[in-house]
Amino acid sequence: MSDVLVRLEGVGKDYPLLASGASRARMLVSLLAGHGATSHATALDGIDLEIRRGDAVGIVGENGAGKSTLLKIIAGVVKPSRGAAVTNGRVGALLELGSGFHPDYTGRENIYLSSALMGLSRRETEDKVEAIVSFADIGAHIDEPIKHYSSGMVVRLGFAVATALAPDLLITDEVLAVGDESFQKKCMRWLERYLGDGGTLLLVSHSMYHVQTLCRRALWIHHGRPRLAGTAFDVAREYLTYHEEKTRAARETAPAAVSGTQPRLEKIWLERASGEGAATFALGEDIVLRGIAHEPDDRTPALLFGIVRADGTPVFGSLSIDAGYAATRLTECRYGFAVRFPAAPLLPGKYEIRAHVLEPEGLRLFDTIETAFVVTGETRDFGLVRLAHEWIPGRDAPDAEKTG
Amino acid sequence: MAPRPAHSWRWLLANFLKREVSSRYTGSVGGILWALANPLVQLALYAVVFGVLLRAPADALGGWRFPAFLAIALWPWLMFGDSVKRAMDCIPANTSLIRKVAFPHELLIVAAVGGTFFIHLLGWAAVLVALRLWGEPVSFGGLLLALPLLAAQFAFTLGVGAFLAALQVVLRDVEQAVGLALTVVFYATPIVYPLALIPAPYRDYLALNPLAYVVTRYRDLLSGAGGWQAGDLGVIVASLATLAAGLWVFRRLSPWFEDLL
Repeated sequence: MSDVLVRLEGVGKDYPLLASGASRARMLVSLLAGHGATSHATALDGIDLEIRRGDAVGIVGENGAGKSTLLKIIAGVVKPSRGAAVTNGRVGALLELGSGFHPDYTGRENIYLSSALMGLSRRETEDKVEAIVSFADIGAHIDEPIKHYSSGMVVRLGFAVATALAPDLLITDEVLAVGDESFQKKCMRWLERYLGDGGTLLLVSHSMYHVQTLCRRALWIHHGRPRLAGTAFDVAREYLTYHEEKTRAARETAPAAVSGTQPRLEKIWLERASGEGAATFALGEDIVLRGIAHEPDDRTPALLFGIVRADGTPVFGSLSIDAGYAATRLTECRYGFAVRFPAAPLLPGKYEIRAHVLEPEGLRLFDTIETAFVVTGETRDFGLVRLAHEWIPGRDAPDAEKTG
Repeated sequence: MAPRPAHSWRWLLANFLKREVSSRYTGSVGGILWALANPLVQLALYAVVFGVLLRAPADALGGWRFPAFLAIALWPWLMFGDSVKRAMDCIPANTSLIRKVAFPHELLIVAAVGGTFFIHLLGWAAVLVALRLWGEPVSFGGLLLALPLLAAQFAFTLGVGAFLAALQVVLRDVEQAVGLALTVVFYATPIVYPLALIPAPYRDYLALNPLAYVVTRYRDLLSGAGGWQAGDLGVIVASLATLAAGLWVFRRLSPWFEDLL
């Protein structure tokens, strides 16, 4: 059997817009003629993905980014509008646990039905029923109609059925977010063992913890298009950074509470030495903080910056007037300022930098803006910053002769 | 989609069929007896209205008493009419399945039509036995001869059901139109009246209706008169053509069901 389980090349998906009866009639003619759908909204575009046996790939993205559509294409539920989608091997899709269940049937009867739906033969099903029942662990309820089940019990049974299939590729859509704590742990243990045994996993999750622990690679889909593909760790970090920026942007656009008669900060941003804006810096790279302050009396304001680690531990801070620094007057009442950290010695991790504006005497603090940034790199140093240091030749203690 | 061995789909079809048959009567005490009760009431009503009140001419009934004449055609009609309705219901009723699981959608149609045929075949067999006991000249050898036509009717129904079920997903009007059309076809088929009552030129047009042909042939064969005719082969070929056309349309549209439902 081929080693490549899934290969997507330039896959896209459009959904038809069928507001009116006439558009449905045109659609019918077009489909019968083999021309595909007529007018449409694009849900997914330009997705390339290859999944090999033993891979564990995470798909991340905001709600509505097209993640579920992508999974449906791979599971064979949806036909892609563009590109080529090839799937080999048995695909087990947990798109919605228990979706094949019939409410009037007992749990046991539903095991038969949904096993058949997943492609198991009668004999395979009969071999596995007891294992499914014991994994689901819902006791005597197994012989009661599903409609009397709690939603948690349905999920347990659904997961038990899907996993019993022992698929070549397991597709899961947020299934780890359901069920109670102990069942989630059971699922995680099962998934870890499945991966350890050489299983292949495609996981959609909003939990970067799950993506980082279970997956090796990840794909970030943004508005239906691939935004970043790489190691699960990198993608998860970038995705989290994106969300932090988004949250901050929402905060910044909120109307400022400060009155127009007090100094305030218009904006701050971070740059590389080259002047390019950035939120991620390599270990040892120059970092430049720039900002624009507003001083209503058109007097040069005093400024203060502080760097804290993501957990709030202060790293360093300093006041502009202590360094005799005067901000540059840009236009009336507007002053630009910048601080450069040459070869910033911050160790890899997430940080926040805050800027504050004070009145010219530097006694009262009026406004604060903060921005997050990430330092990347590989080092075995630990702590907050790399202190300037050198390893030098050793010698005995100065008083060794006297005491010895 | 990943290729899967055919045997697993057979097992799925068996499950769908079981569900189709049992889901109709699950939770009712009478169970499958309702499958018989419903057509029996229809039979009684039509027998009173057309046999007693409107007095169908006895000499045109081919030697049957009117209730027997009616019953022999009524169950095959229900196999067709009910199957078409069930086939059209089964795609919307299984929306959640279609949106979440990859499987050949035509299995749902086969199960809907197959399950309906199964239920009405049981009813038909029971009624034929009852008619025999009542003294009607029901020939069970003739019933065996009718089996190829019954199979042709199954293929025809499956083709029509698949065609309409797929069409209905795209055009919601179909469901309304089919409801009306079935009523028209019921009266355009010689079920409650003998074909001989229709004036000659129109009778020929009516004979083009495959259902009119098969119900007339069921009456002939069950009376023990004669064997197969050349026309039987024509109906079998036409039914298979209908099946092929219906499945072609269904397969053309079914990959888009998820988009349209």
